[in-house]
Amino acid sequence: MHNVQVNGEDILKRQLELAEANRRLLEEKRVVAVSVMGAIGSGKTSLIERMIDRLAGQGLHVGTIAADSAGDDDHQRFLSHGADSINLNTQDDCHLDAHTVDHAMEHLPMDKLDILFIENVGNLICPADFPLGTANEMVVISTTEGDDMVRKHPKIFAQTDILVLNKIDLADAVGMDPQRVVSDYSRINPHGKAVLTDARHEKGIDDLLEALGFECTNTQ
Amino acid sequence: MHEYAVVSELINALLPQAETIEGRIVGVILKKGELRILSDQALANAFELLAEGTPFEGARLIVELVSVSVSCSSCGYEGAVDHVSDEVFHFAVPILSCPKCQSKVDVQAGRELFVDRLSVQTPAETDSR
Ligand SMILES: Nc1nc2c(ncn2[C@@H]2O[C@H](COP(=O)(O)OP(=O)(O)O)[C@@H](O)[C@H]2O)c(=O)[nH]1
Ligand SMILES: [Mg+2]
Ligand SMILES: [Zn+2]
Repeated sequence: MHNVQVNGEDILKRQLELAEANRRLLEEKRVVAVSVMGAIGSGKTSLIERMIDRLAGQGLHVGTIAADSAGDDDHQRFLSHGADSINLNTQDDCHLDAHTVDHAMEHLPMDKLDILFIENVGNLICPADFPLGTANEMVVISTTEGDDMVRKHPKIFAQTDILVLNKIDLADAVGMDPQRVVSDYSRINPHGKAVLTDARHEKGIDDLLEALGFECTNTQ
Repeated sequence: MHEYAVVSELINALLPQAETIEGRIVGVILKKGELRILSDQALANAFELLAEGTPFEGARLIVELVSVSVSCSSCGYEGAVDHVSDEVFHFAVPILSCPKCQSKVDVQAGRELFVDRLSVQTPAETDSR
């Protein structure tokens, strides 16, 4: 047996280049983009809705890209909060990619936008391998998923700078300990920020906006 | 799972070279960055299926891990990072922080995914066994 060297071009190189192009476009247009990842039902749409309300209240122009396997429920929710929104049906895809986001941005009024939320496909794992070129990335998990989520998927959390633990209102009812999630996370990601939220009762939204680096007037 | 898409891209990219190879391809050695989430098992399964009918049929996909390496703009450190290898995390987790000064770091290696080499067996090599 012998080895044959291969012209080893990175299989995901094109993805990285496209993400870099998105990053440049967003910078040029002065739009701060946030990629919102997390399992179905963790509360991604609810959190974005709350943030849109706060940010719009400060006169900021918010855009959204809603990725749903089918239908346009999230997109309609964003529109009803006054965001400029684009709906993407991803069907069987397990994640958004930079190319799809690039096309979606062509249909958004990028010159007017200040902030762009991209709700990724409801899947905790796959999107972590595909950067979109956003300045911020956050992963949403909810208390109902248990307190061992960080332990089960440490590599995802080790490289995501904002962890949102949502549905804090249900923590006691499901017998989970938010502190365990926070302390696991701080061990594997010392520079990460963990934020506890309850999107349903609008708790922790300002903390989340602050973690994202958005100015906010404290109304909670 | 996107492992199928990744493997199908990998096979397509290698086909032109594979068709010129004399002998049997018995292994495809893939380098995977430690920070990649893609699963080795899912990659191997996808490969087994997608290799059918190509010069890669019957070959094994072997994943070799590339360790994380970083650079620190605060203190100038360049190199490997510490890991948390507490059993609660099931496997060692790289910490993206400077092991010297605990500042934020830039990742220089650990996200790659590329085929490094093929392992090939020619008829002559088989006979000389
Ligand atoms: N109790 C409670 N329910 C929530 C909270 N956030 C979201 N939900 C509910 O959880 C369900 C899924 O929320 P959604 O925002 O659509 O999740 P997504 O699939 O991640 O976008 C909806 O019924 C929400 O009303 C929360 O903080 N507390
Ligand atoms: Mg949603
Ligand atoms: Zn340092």
